This record gives sequence, C-alpha cells and structure tokens, in this order.
Amino acid sequence: MSAPGALLANSVGPRRRRRRLHLGRAEPLVWIAPAFAVVAFVFGYSMVELARQALEHKGHWVGLENFRLTVTDPTFQTALEHNARLLLAVPVLVLIALLLSVLLFEALRGWRFHRVTVFLPYVLPIPVVAVIFGQMLQLDGLVNKALRGAGLGSIAFDWLGQPSWALWTMTGVIVWKELGFGVILFLARLLSLPAETFEAARVDGARFFRLHRYVTVPQLAGVIAFYVVVEAITMVSWVFNYVYVISNGTGGPGDATQVAELYIYQTAFQYSAPDLAAAAAVMLFGATLVLIVVFFRVQRRAGFIAAGD
Amino acid sequence: MTGRRRASGALLVAGAVVALAVGAATARSAPAGGAAAKAFPTGPVNLTMWWWGEQEAAGAKAWLAETVALYHKKHPNVTIKTVLQTTNGLVPAFKAAAAAKKGPDLQYFWGGIWSLEDAWAGSTKPVSDYIPAAELKHYINTAEDTYDGKVWTAGWYVQPSFPLLYRKDVLAKAGVAPPRTWTQLLAACDTLNAKGVTPLAGGISDGWFGGWLYSIIGAQGVNSVGDVLGAVAGKQKFTDAKHAAWWTRLQQLRDHNCWNKDINSVQLYQGQQKWSDGKAAMTITAGSDVKKFVTEVGVSKVGVMAMPKWGSGPYAGRLGSTSQTVGITAWTKYPEVDADFIMFMHTPERMSAWFKKTGAFPADDRFNTKLITLPQQKVLFNLVKHGAPYLENFIPTEFDSKANFAQAQLLLAGKADAKQAAQASEQIAARIRRTNRDLIANFATWSKSYK
Amino acid sequence: MTRRVGHLPKHAGLVLASLIALFPVYVMVTAAFKTQGGFLNHPFSLLAHPTLAGFRTALNDQFPRWLLNSAMVTGAAVAATLTLAAFAAWGFSRWSFPGRDALLSLLVSLMVVPPVVLLVPLFVFGAKLGWISTFRLVILIYVGLMLPFSVYMLSFFFRTIPPSMIEAATVDGASSFTVFRLIVLPLSGAPLATLAVINLLWVWNELLIALVFLQDDSKKTLMVGITGFESRYNLDVPAIMAGLTLATLPIVTVYLFGQRFFVRGLVAGAAKE
Repeated sequence: MSAPGALLANSVGPRRRRRRLHLGRAEPLVWIAPAFAVVAFVFGYSMVELARQALEHKGHWVGLENFRLTVTDPTFQTALEHNARLLLAVPVLVLIALLLSVLLFEALRGWRFHRVTVFLPYVLPIPVVAVIFGQMLQLDGLVNKALRGAGLGSIAFDWLGQPSWALWTMTGVIVWKELGFGVILFLARLLSLPAETFEAARVDGARFFRLHRYVTVPQLAGVIAFYVVVEAITMVSWVFNYVYVISNGTGGPGDATQVAELYIYQTAFQYSAPDLAAAAAVMLFGATLVLIVVFFRVQRRAGFIAAGD
Repeated sequence: MTGRRRASGALLVAGAVVALAVGAATARSAPAGGAAAKAFPTGPVNLTMWWWGEQEAAGAKAWLAETVALYHKKHPNVTIKTVLQTTNGLVPAFKAAAAAKKGPDLQYFWGGIWSLEDAWAGSTKPVSDYIPAAELKHYINTAEDTYDGKVWTAGWYVQPSFPLLYRKDVLAKAGVAPPRTWTQLLAACDTLNAKGVTPLAGGISDGWFGGWLYSIIGAQGVNSVGDVLGAVAGKQKFTDAKHAAWWTRLQQLRDHNCWNKDINSVQLYQGQQKWSDGKAAMTITAGSDVKKFVTEVGVSKVGVMAMPKWGSGPYAGRLGSTSQTVGITAWTKYPEVDADFIMFMHTPERMSAWFKKTGAFPADDRFNTKLITLPQQKVLFNLVKHGAPYLENFIPTEFDSKANFAQAQLLLAGKADAKQAAQASEQIAARIRRTNRDLIANFATWSKSYK
Repeated sequence: MTRRVGHLPKHAGLVLASLIALFPVYVMVTAAFKTQGGFLNHPFSLLAHPTLAGFRTALNDQFPRWLLNSAMVTGAAVAATLTLAAFAAWGFSRWSFPGRDALLSLLVSLMVVPPVVLLVPLFVFGAKLGWISTFRLVILIYVGLMLPFSVYMLSFFFRTIPPSMIEAATVDGASSFTVFRLIVLPLSGAPLATLAVINLLWVWNELLIALVFLQDDSKKTLMVGITGFESRYNLDVPAIMAGLTLATLPIVTVYLFGQRFFVRGLVAGAAKE
C-alpha cells in the first residue's frame, strides 16, 4: 500500500464503508465558504455601507457633497500630505534594513544575539512603544538629557512639541519599529541563497560595498520590492496606532501629525460627522486600491519570496 | 487630576451613531406630569450609575460607596451599582450605550455642552421633570444645563474653573508680588525670568490646556455667554475684537516667556508638577484639586486667585464656575428613583460628608460653608460664589479641539501669531457651521436664553 | 568577504543597532523598578534600590482582568482564523475552478484595507444588534481582518504539498476531508504554528478595534487598559513603566521562545537556521 494509504488504514481502523459526500464541482466552494462569509461581512458589508453613508446626510441623498466637503477640508489635505511624507521613510527603511541584514549575514560573532535584539522592536505592542518614546522624547526627556550630557545640547530639540519636528520624530519611531521586519526578510532570503552566488565574486576579489551592490542586492530584488510595497501600505493604512498614542489622539501639535486614518477616526467619533468620515474613508480606500494593484504585480514577480526561484 | 481631561475621542463614538440609531436631533422632553407623581416602587430596583470624578476630587469613590449604602438602608429594595469611568472613556462609553439604548440609569456629565449634546440626541430625560422646582433652585449652575425651558442634568459638585495658584515662597524670594492685573502679570514674568524662575507652568501636548486658557482669558473680553453662542451660530465672528482679543493676550504671555520652555512637550499635570516642586512660581489647576496641591506644598506657601484681569467685560477678574452633574438616562425604568437618589446626594449630611472627604464644594447653596477651614478654599469659595460662566462649556467640542487646542499649541510653539490664530478659528467655525447644521440650529436656540 | 571593511566597523554597526533597538526597552524595565524620584534623578542608571511600588500600583488596577480578556479574545480569534483559513486555503489549492485566481487575489488584496475604514459601519451594525462590548463581535472582526493574510500564507504552503500524496490517498478511497485531516494538516505543522504566532501577535497588540468595540470596563483588553492606565497615572512614571512591562511580558516571552517561528512565518518559508 502507498504510504498515505497505510496512514489512512492505521487511523481509520478496519475498512469501513464510508459514505462519501458527492459535492462534485462545488466542493472547493464549500471549503472556502465559511472564510468567505466572514470576510464578506467584515469587508463587503462595511464597504457597501460606507459607500451608502458617504452619499447621504442623515438619510437624505446628497450625492457627492460629502466628498466635496471633505476634499476641501484643509485638515484632510494636510493629512494626505503627511501620509505622502511618511512614504519617504520607505527608502530609508530599505537601506537600513539592507545594511543590517548584510551585517548579520556575514555571521560575525554574536550575530544570533543581534538578530534577536534587532527584531525585538517589531514584536513590541505599538501602544507600549509610543508611550515609552513619548516619555523619552520630551524636551527634558531622556534623549535630550543624553544629548546635553554628551555636549550636544544644541540639537536637543523639542522632538514632539515643535510642529516642524513632530512628524519626522513620528517617522523615526515608525522606522525604529518596522525595521526588524525588513531585516528578517532580507536575511532569510540571503540565507537561502546557494553559497556559490558569492563565491564567484569573492574569488574575483570583490570588496564589501562592491560585492553587496553588484551581487547581493540584485539577488534580493524581489524581496526588496515586496518589502517596499508592504511598508508603503503600512504608511498609508496602518499608522493609526502610532499617531494616536504619540499625539494623545490630537494629531498635534496643531496639525503636525495628522494622517488620513486619524482624520477619519476624529471626524466619525469626535466630531459626530460619520457621513464625512465615510467619504474620507472611501477616498482613502481608493488610494490603497492603487497599492493593491502594485502589491499584486510585485507578488507575481517575487514568486513568494524565498521559496525557490 | 483636572476637571477638564475629557475624552480625546479615544472611544468617542459618534453622536452621529446616536443620531443614526436614535434619530432625534432636537431635545425630546419627558412626559409632562411633574415630579414624583408616581409612588415609590416597592419591588426590587437595580440601578447602575456611570460616573467620573475620583480623578479630580480624590475621595469621591469612597463617598459614593457610602452614599449608596446609606440609600440602601433607607430603601432596602434599591441596589445601586456604580462604575467609575476613565477620563477618555466617560463620553464614548455613554455614547455607545446611547446607541444601543441600554446602559446606566444615572450618568455623570460635565456641564454645558457636555450635558446638552446628549440631551439634544435624546439620550437623557430632563431632571426638572422629576425633581421639584423648589429643590432644584438650590442647585448651583443649573443655568448652563438649561435648554428649552428644562433643566437637563443636576449639579453634583462645583468645579471652580480655573484658579491660578501661586507659590508665596517662590514669589517672595524673587521679590515679586502676586500679580492682579495683566500688566502686573507680564511684568512679573519679566522679573521672574531674569531671576531664572519659570513664571507660569503648564503643559499643552495633549491639547486640553488650550481650552482652559481660552476660557479664563477669553471670558474677560465678551459681554455675555450669548456672544460666544452667537459666534458659534454665525451671528458674530471669531475674528471680532471681543473674541479675538484672547489670542493677543496669549501671545503676550508667550512673548514675555511666561511659560515653561517645554510646555509643548509635556501634559498639563507634568507642568503642574513643576510648580509643586518649586520650579515655577504659578500654575493653573482645577478648583477641586486645590486641596491636594495645597496639602502637597504647604498651607502657608500657596495663594489662590482668578486669572489676572485685562478686560473690562462683566466676567473679568471673576473665576469661572461650572458644576459637574448627574443626569437621568432616557431608557431608565425608574426615573423617579434616579431623581430620588440625586436628591439624597444633596441632603445636608451627605453634602458635609462630601466636602470633608474630597474638599470639593457641593453644587448646592444650602451647603454648610462653615465647614471650609482651609484658607485657600475659603478664597476659592468666595470667588466661585460670584463666579462667571465657564466659556469652554459653550462651544462645540470640534471647535474647541481644532481652534483652541491646536491653535494654542501652534501659537505657543512660535508657529502662529494672534492674528493667524483668530483667523484660523473663524475658518474652523465657518466650516463647522457648514458641516454640522443641527448643532448650529441648537446653538441659535440656546443663545436665546442668554440675552 | 571582509577585506577593506574590517571587522570593527561591522561589529560597531551591529552593536549600535542593537543598542538603539534595546534602549527604550531598557528604559522601560529599569524605570519600572524605580521610585518616581529615583527615576527623575537617575533616569539611565541600572537599579540602585529596586522597589516594587510601580508594580503594586499597576496590579492594583485591573491588569489581571485585562490580561484575561486579551487572552480570551486572542485565543478565540486565532483558533477561528486558523480553522477557517486552513479550510479556505485548501479549497483554493486543491481544486482548480473558474475564477479561482481572481477570488484568491480579491481576498488577499483586502490586506491593504485600513481597519479604520471599517469602524463606523461595523459599529453602527453592532449597535443595532446590541453587540457592542461583546466579545463575539470583536472576535468576528479580528477573524475577518486576519483571514486575507492567513489564507494567503496557507494556500501558498498547501500548493507545495506533492499532488502525488493526495492522489494516492484519494485512490485509496479517502474523502477529501479525511485527506485534509490526515495528510495535509500533519504536514502543515510548521506553517500553522508560525501563522498562529503571527496572528496571536497581531491580535494581542491590537488597539483601535478593541478601543471602539469593547467599551465596558470589564471587557477591556490589555492594550486598551494600558492606554487608559497611562492617562490616569501619567505623573507616576514608574507605575506606567511597570504597567507597560507587564503588558509586554507575555508577548516578549512568546517571542523569545518562538522567535524561530516568528522569523520563519514572516518569511513564509525557506529561512535556513
């Protein structure tokens, strides 16, 4: 008997007549149905409701008025602008993650320890991270105390209190936390490459930067693209927790850390205007649709990261 | 903990949801019929009360537990469960309950707009339908919870909003007298700065302080609350001199370096802590917190006063006064019992016990003021007896956070000046008038009672 | 591979990265054991006179309750997600049917939808049904949010199961459910475990949905609890840090023990140890 057959026989016991459900061609759909039902409810119902709400005001049809009101809201424009600025962090993320993963790959002494620590921020809950940094980054907080102690008092700025710094600081915290994901992605890919990839270059006498620029990075192209897209999606759709906790829910100082998600949240839950929030949400979703398409193209190219090219 | 740490939308569920689920945008009145027309129920009655206040009146929790127990002795068939809410959770939790139309029987509300918003949404029954007028007239600050001829929530304790506390020792050491006028305040800032002392300690990173400052500085420029309500409704503008003046005054404070340098990066309590530690000469606190601060620092070292006077309006030099209130929810099965419990909270023995435990003033003119022994509280009480309306309670919360919080943050960070802030405020108000039509209609009606 | 750029700068780079990664955690843990005064005066030092006062304040609050709620919600949500995702992924991998790729793409693309977009409609729905502050609605939403990625990951893995094994079993007369149960599942131990850990991580750390849908004090999860806790005690830094440490402990413990799975899971496949 085939191995699986033996497996079956042993577990099923003496052969019994098993009544088989003939689902025929509909069978896959039966398997998919429960998951699909949940997803249809959570996403499908919500989006339909959202679209409906965006087109009404207190039950009356108002067409595109909510969209117009939202688009002309300077706060909304600022929020989108800030999301765009957050996207600037993505190349930074990629560069630093590449650097760190390469360093880890070289398997220097203690690299396993560093791998654990570098990934730790990614594991921490965002509320925790935001509270700690909120404390540390005050004008007289730990970071500035350290800077002043090291004689660098001139750059001990008001990291979270000054509007011109606040968004960059927020970006810094997000980078701090999201870096680990990239490092692990790249490192895993590197570890899965056959050793010969680097042999040839080494024999040719390639030094650190040349080697990595011309051999390593091209090998990682697919993963890098994947990481870029995932982080871009994060910067647009998944930064609410950071902004909310760091800015105490205000998006401040002033509007300095306002982002699309916070805008929607405030409009719906603080300012009692769910129709406007719905319009903003629909527009945000539209923007992410673009990312979805890109995401898919990238997926198809990268295969699925490490599993054999 | 101050009286104004309100929900930063943490769980702030839309009044919109309420509107969706409940529908009404105008105040619904309870069935006419006067108070206590029904006999007291004899079967078992289980009530739930959601409240806040331990955070700004330490000892409130113990007092409430005691009160509930005493009430149970008086009416053994009534059991009341009390749930202390977090600052960020108080409003959202209630809005969520309102959307589902079930939840507490008694609910705590801050005064003014905080009570009326839910009244407009139909989530509460007016207390004036269940508490006799003769009783209600003793409650303090009912005016700010009155709309359309009905009083919607009943005062529990008074919140003097917001006194300026000064360190007599720090001022004396710097050779500065407590400033009573605005000019004196600015001069004091200059002198204190020269001596390396922070004049005024505050914190605005979470925004709330902006609303405080708006109220205690801005009230001096208007002729009446009607001006503010009118500006919200569009009959006046926030760029008008009487409304914009407060920004100019705030800028003066900034330009004279009156505030701690890190005011933008710390929260209010942290700022107040600097004052407690002797690093600043003055700070602003919740009235109900005065006892705590005085005890911390030392009775002989602390002075209390209203914000220094710059304006000539009727509210200048007066301390703002608001009452934190309790309301009866629209879905409660026993509104008369609810009202009876509220009245029980106002019995003389209970009121004395409240003051002794918390140091906060009961919102009742029958309160035995002889119990006030702490000199600072005596001053506070006198100030509050002739108190002025607390302005922040008369503007939409959206306007408060977008105009007062945000613009004050920008101004204090040096990114905006008074003119820009005032213009921004008016733009924000204009936008709210467009997007939130019901609110404006309600404000217009509301302003009619303040002519 | 080390010519020209010597060992030293590389070590330095890694050490610097680790320091930056660990510094906030260090601050959090050491502050938790200090007194308020101790923290303000010696913020950087290691414990001089460790005190548990911070922890006592934290535990006097409702930490145990929040912990329990989080554990319950996380457990239920992850279990449900794994089950449904496994079924669905099997449906996508085993059979080829018209529209399969499109459907799978649609499902996976939902990964990019910002959760905040779903808040208001789901809240209104929940309010109408009276399901606000119930665990079932929150778990349902979490499962919905986790399914796209989970189905994605599992369907990828299932496709790597050699069809010959499946064929052989079917020839032997097994129903497809039996095949699933006895062949596919045992082989999927590793991806299922990694997916479980990833999802666990996500639900445990989730804030927004728990904030909006679990408003009753008794139902709050740990993340919601510590946010409120932080605002209540924001002058008492050691108490806050103690609270945060307690909140982080479970997840960090799981991470340290299961970090191999974490790594594997996030890369969905071929990391060599």
